Amino acid sequence: MTSSPAHRIDTPIVLDTDDDDAQLTDRLLAPLRSKSKVWYALLALSGAGMLLFVATSVYTFVGGIGLWGNNIPVAWAFAITDFVWWIGIGHAGTFISAFLLLLQQDWRASVNRIAEAMTLIAVFNAALFPVLHLGRPWFAYWLLPYPATMAVWPQFKSALPWDFAAILTYFTVSFLFWYTGLVPDFATVRDRAGSRGRRMIYGIFALGWRGSAEHWQHYRIVYGLLAGLATPLVISVHSVVSMDFAITQLPGWHSTIFPPYFVAGALFSGFAMVLTLLLPVRRVFHLEEIVTARHIDAIAKMLLAMSWMLIYSYVCELFIAWYTGDPYERYIFLQARPLGPWAWLYWAMISANVLAPQLLWWRSVRLSPLALFALSLVIQFGMWMERFIIIAGSLSRDFLPSSWADYRPTWVDLGLLFGSIGLFLFAFLLFLRFVPFIPIAEMKELRREIRGTA
Amino acid sequence: MIWVRTPFVSGKGDPVRQPIEFDHRHHVADDGIDCRYCHDLVERSRYAGVPPTSRCLNCHNQIWNDSPLLATVWTRYFRDQPIPWVRVHRLPDFVYFDHSIHVNKGVGCESCHGRVDRMARVYQIAPLSMSWCLDCHRSPERHLRPPDAITAMGWTPPRPQEEFGRALKTLYGVREITHCSACHR
Amino acid sequence: MTGNRQPFEHSAVDDAGRVTRRDFLRVLGAGAAVAGLGACVEPPRERILPYTARPPEITPGIATFYATTMILGGFGTGLVVKSREGRPTKVEGNPHHPASLGAAGVFEQASVLELYDPDRVRIPRPREGVGGWDAFARDFALLPASGGTEQGRGLHFLMEPTASPLTNSLIERMRTLHPAVGFTFYSPLAFTGAMEGARHAFGRPLQPVYDLSRAAIIVSLDADVLDADPFCLRYARQFADGRRLRSRRDAMNRLYVAESAFSTTGGMADHRLPLRAGDVADLAKALLAATATPEEIRPAMPLLSQPTPDGPMASWVRAAAADLRAARGQSVIIAGAQQPAVVHAIANALNAILGNIGTTVRFIEPLLPTESPEHALATLAAAIDAGAVDKLVILGGNPSGTAPADLRFGERIRSVRSSAYLGLHHNETALDCKWVLPALHYLESWGDARAYDGTASFVQPLIRPLYDGRSVDEVLAVCGGWPTTNAHALVRELWSTQPDFTVLWARSLERGVIENTASPPVSAALDWAGVLPVLAAEHQRAARDSIEVTFRLDPKVLDGRFANNPWLQELPHPITKLTWGNAAQLGPDTAKRLGIETGDEVSIAFGGGRISIPAIVVPGHAEMSITLPLGYGRSGEERTARDVGVNVYPLRTRNAPYILSDARVRGVKPGSREPLAITQGHFTMQGRMIAREATLAAYRADPRTIAPAHEPAPSLYKPAVKSGEQWAMTIDLSVCTGCSACVIACQAENNIPVVGREGVLKRREMHWLRVDRYYTGAAGTARVISQPMACQHCEKAPCEYVCPVNATVHSPDGLNEMVYNRCVGTRFCSNNCPYKVRRFNWFDYGSGIPEVLWMQRNPDVTVRERGVMEKCTYCVQRIRRAGIQAATERRALRDGEVVTACQQACPTRAITFGSLDDPESEVSRSRRQERSYEVLGELGTEPRTRYLARIFNPSPDLTV
Repeated sequence: MTSSPAHRIDTPIVLDTDDDDAQLTDRLLAPLRSKSKVWYALLALSGAGMLLFVATSVYTFVGGIGLWGNNIPVAWAFAITDFVWWIGIGHAGTFISAFLLLLQQDWRASVNRIAEAMTLIAVFNAALFPVLHLGRPWFAYWLLPYPATMAVWPQFKSALPWDFAAILTYFTVSFLFWYTGLVPDFATVRDRAGSRGRRMIYGIFALGWRGSAEHWQHYRIVYGLLAGLATPLVISVHSVVSMDFAITQLPGWHSTIFPPYFVAGALFSGFAMVLTLLLPVRRVFHLEEIVTARHIDAIAKMLLAMSWMLIYSYVCELFIAWYTGDPYERYIFLQARPLGPWAWLYWAMISANVLAPQLLWWRSVRLSPLALFALSLVIQFGMWMERFIIIAGSLSRDFLPSSWADYRPTWVDLGLLFGSIGLFLFAFLLFLRFVPFIPIAEMKELRREIRGTA
Repeated sequence: MIWVRTPFVSGKGDPVRQPIEFDHRHHVADDGIDCRYCHDLVERSRYAGVPPTSRCLNCHNQIWNDSPLLATVWTRYFRDQPIPWVRVHRLPDFVYFDHSIHVNKGVGCESCHGRVDRMARVYQIAPLSMSWCLDCHRSPERHLRPPDAITAMGWTPPRPQEEFGRALKTLYGVREITHCSACHR
Repeated sequence: MTGNRQPFEHSAVDDAGRVTRRDFLRVLGAGAAVAGLGACVEPPRERILPYTARPPEITPGIATFYATTMILGGFGTGLVVKSREGRPTKVEGNPHHPASLGAAGVFEQASVLELYDPDRVRIPRPREGVGGWDAFARDFALLPASGGTEQGRGLHFLMEPTASPLTNSLIERMRTLHPAVGFTFYSPLAFTGAMEGARHAFGRPLQPVYDLSRAAIIVSLDADVLDADPFCLRYARQFADGRRLRSRRDAMNRLYVAESAFSTTGGMADHRLPLRAGDVADLAKALLAATATPEEIRPAMPLLSQPTPDGPMASWVRAAAADLRAARGQSVIIAGAQQPAVVHAIANALNAILGNIGTTVRFIEPLLPTESPEHALATLAAAIDAGAVDKLVILGGNPSGTAPADLRFGERIRSVRSSAYLGLHHNETALDCKWVLPALHYLESWGDARAYDGTASFVQPLIRPLYDGRSVDEVLAVCGGWPTTNAHALVRELWSTQPDFTVLWARSLERGVIENTASPPVSAALDWAGVLPVLAAEHQRAARDSIEVTFRLDPKVLDGRFANNPWLQELPHPITKLTWGNAAQLGPDTAKRLGIETGDEVSIAFGGGRISIPAIVVPGHAEMSITLPLGYGRSGEERTARDVGVNVYPLRTRNAPYILSDARVRGVKPGSREPLAITQGHFTMQGRMIAREATLAAYRADPRTIAPAHEPAPSLYKPAVKSGEQWAMTIDLSVCTGCSACVIACQAENNIPVVGREGVLKRREMHWLRVDRYYTGAAGTARVISQPMACQHCEKAPCEYVCPVNATVHSPDGLNEMVYNRCVGTRFCSNNCPYKVRRFNWFDYGSGIPEVLWMQRNPDVTVRERGVMEKCTYCVQRIRRAGIQAATERRALRDGEVVTACQQACPTRAITFGSLDDPESEVSRSRRQERSYEVLGELGTEPRTRYLARIFNPSPDLTV
């Protein structure tokens, strides 16, 4: 990031403080020492949600998929919707850190770690659903190619084994990327730690980082490489996920636009989730000077851009459905969705994903944390509905009218959905409390770049 | 992966204790009784057929009829209670193995059950795993015999098994059947 | 082969429904344990329990078949029953038997489950005091020694009418020995209208027997001959044979149907006239007037009204009349069993005038009592009130549940000093009686029967009685106090008078029929003198503006006797697709008039009775008419049947047992009950070419219109390896009546679980083979087309490439295999199946059912575990068994050697199955027909199951 200070003066500020390094470090380490009541309250709340998730999972595991609302034809519904939704959310993180790192977007620095943590937790969440969703989860390992005494291999034409692999890879790389970035900060925490215990623990995680020039050199190489590795994964994972649907011939699934369409949707919901998490954190920990209006504005603009990519996909789908003249395609896109029993869901989805984001054309909206927070929630809701309409909606109206049927979720379905949200927040809160969620080293570096002073 | 291949899982080579100390060595080797005398369904049915108690008494009402070893047989017979033999070769319920077709297509008893004529207590000589079945189903010629040698123990082919087997294979029209519904229905 | 199959006195199943160890083992034979999917755990070493002495007729692992006869509604249907290790597991039709011709309907198929019903009566037991047959005999048996004609006064038998020679001979014997003993015959399945009609037309009661194979024109006046008739299997087959097209040039019969409720027969009609049951008599008169020449009906002329010149009725009559005149001697007019005598009289008159008697219809002496069962029962009720009955023995049936409401028969039974009920279940009657006696199921008992045409056959048991039961004949003998009370001895004794009996006995048991025992036809000459009075008499008919209510035997549970059979409860109704319950069927306009729609309720009141029942709107149902299916809302101690559906008997009275013209009907909205468990929610094809049909004329003009050839879709994958037979199926929609016998046959053969009402409501029914039903045409002239839909065994199967674990794959002989033990249950295959024929085990349906039901299971088919997919396999177990058989005999499979369960059951032979590698096989030839097409073939799935488009044959002078 070498650009002359002169050029900096007119660019919007990404760091708005006069602290020196020490003060900045203290300020960024404050949350780890805070004894905030709010935090405990939220932790309890989300903890309850997590327990709900565990309970419903165990219940499903013991009782069987019959406890859900699924049926024939709607053999996939809530669980798979949740899966795709979480995977989608788990995209913005790596996108922000890796993609923007490669594009040398300095504003990413202060938000990337939160985004990455969000990614890891979301992907972990997502990965639970497909396994739980199996009729016989205890045989999940049959999806892996291993030398079995049955002498049978997985079906490589199917998207699911690839899905399995893709998610695993994405999680691993994202985790390494996140952890590598953390190493110098863990060292900082270690050095600033009050108690011996903390020093020991963070010391272990810091992997003996001393901040020597040699360390920094290796660090930069590894971080860059991982960024390069993670970037294509951002694209590949959701492309593979979209194949779970695209390779079938079910009207509403059978569509070549799915990979880019799903990636766009994923980033859309991902950025929305970043806002959902970032705005309260910024407020609670008074980080307005570190996560400045510039950041919020940038993310909002990203949202707007993504919403248009999504709109483009929607229009394409509808046009192609009409243009092919295929009666089944036409029925699902031009009748079942907009006019069918779930029309209200469809139109709610349209207003959430297509209309609502247009508010972002207005600068005032982009700069109002409250408005953005509300909007981010609306968008995530809309994206969940989009997946549900694609998955359950298409299944419920396929080729033979004789087998058409509707779907009604049971409390177990709902429990899993809301439980998974609880699980997500629970993990995220722990992250806030025990890990420096604003990259200290990078901030100090950024500060120097901006001030140009040593 | 290694564990499931061990005898602890496959039950291979573990002599099974039976309610009656029936000695295959004696009946097969010493007396030279053909397998089919007791396991009479083997050519007609899925099951080789565990002999009805009456079958034992065909001979034993004449010879050794007062032997204490046979006490259980007598009492059970007259009380019309079956003898609770212990299963040695157990296949899962979703496997539909059919003895008749194997025997009729030239697979000898020995190929799967081993030298029963040398077993005091019968034990499993094969892992009975799916890959073990497939080994033979993919190249049956390695285990084919002429009809008269089906029940023979320690039989050796007149010519190298490979070519002899290939000849029999064409003769009986033995196919390499590896599709699932051949065994799973 | 059956000498050692005497009924035993002791029970093989204990009170908890568990099969007692020893007998269960005996029954199971060497290790033939019911297959289950114990994939995940390694169980301890299991035991093998061989026979101590193996019965000669049993080879463990190999099925044996015995011929026997099932009696229903008094008439026998010959069956061949499959037995594995001494357990009857599957019922098939007997090709030699006139009532079966090789087919078996839903009741025959499901009867094997009834045998193992855990709710069966187990031991003879009085309300209070000691039980057992001896105790019963002490209370009820007569003492022939201390004779005297007075002996047995007060003793009265109430039983179902039966044509069984043995039963009737025993009744005769009882009557001659003890004239004072009373007999009453009642069953809702016994209709006397036909014999009444014959008395009017020919001077004496006669029983009509039709031969539809010789009829070019068939006119049904509210007669469901293809589904609800003692001879329906035979009639359906004959009808189909007169309709089956092998080429475009083949001739085709034409079916006219006038009916109120949509019946299976109505579904097959070329011209169907929705008409209130009460107005059928007018239609008949109009038809008579329009068909016959004036001199043929001169005496009747003044009594016959001409129909209003316009309207559907008139055009229907005109067309039918024209066809009938043109087809003298090759036509037949059939009156519905529940129609009044006048309709039968007119039908007889028409058949006589058209010279159909002797060709398409013959008459025989009645095999059942000619007195109307309702009136017979009323007489008995009076006798009970008069105190003339102090010992009432009820042999079978369920009078307390099914008697006309105004007789309040249950109370009357309770008022009798001592009463006994012999039956399979603790039903309403059992609860009213002092004694309850376990009846033998027909698969456990000896006896004999007559088919509807008089052909006699033996009933022979396939299994020792599971409980301490007796057959009707045996109980009669016990009550008579006669020396021989063993049915086996009794039936031999009766038939031993025949010339060379031993040969006849062995041969008849083997073939399942006793040759040359059909009743000879008797001459029947039309005599107007008898007809005119009924023509003149005003018959019961609802006023134009009031709603008529009709009662129907339910096609699934009849009068309620099969209500405890889960297979039948879960079987979708052929027309409404309703399971687990009944609903009032009515037409769209009537529903509007009542301001209700499907799911709402109608409240109907008549006399003392009032019921409230969910409504179901059926396009094509006659307007201003409501149909109430009997047999639901049972209140006995039968776990499955209890409180399923609504009991409509409270409305059914002695004088209006079938058509109720003056009931008070009103709509109740919204319905209070839970939704109806219907398996098919959408009834139109959305303009998609799924179940295709065309008129015969159009088909002859241009066959390509119904089955346009489509380009084979391009594929990335190389074609599957093919070797050996190439299995394929063809289903002829022209002759499929939608009777659903195939569905039950499939369920019985393949261990298909029942999911219950809740399961169906969640759309989780497990039937591998379902019968889709679509409405075509306008609401007024709605027609139905039934399409059996099971796995199509696509050559390019969409399910196969999406399964991540290779659990569904293709076999070289063209089967789409489903490997349960490999399935992990992603359900991806179902999502990608365009036909949605795959089923998922949402719960562990296999376990948790009473052990006694395990005995029905087919040991050649795996019982599926929770969490795995399943679907039609083309009965792969039958294919492999036949293949092994052929291979051991060193020969090739013959065409027709492998028969699937559905194909075997089908009464109309609509299903063809065979191998495509033989170009001359039945199935290969059927695929060369121009009307052969693939459902959704345009997707490139290349299904191995093809359909023959439905051709129907409307009269050229009538627009459909």
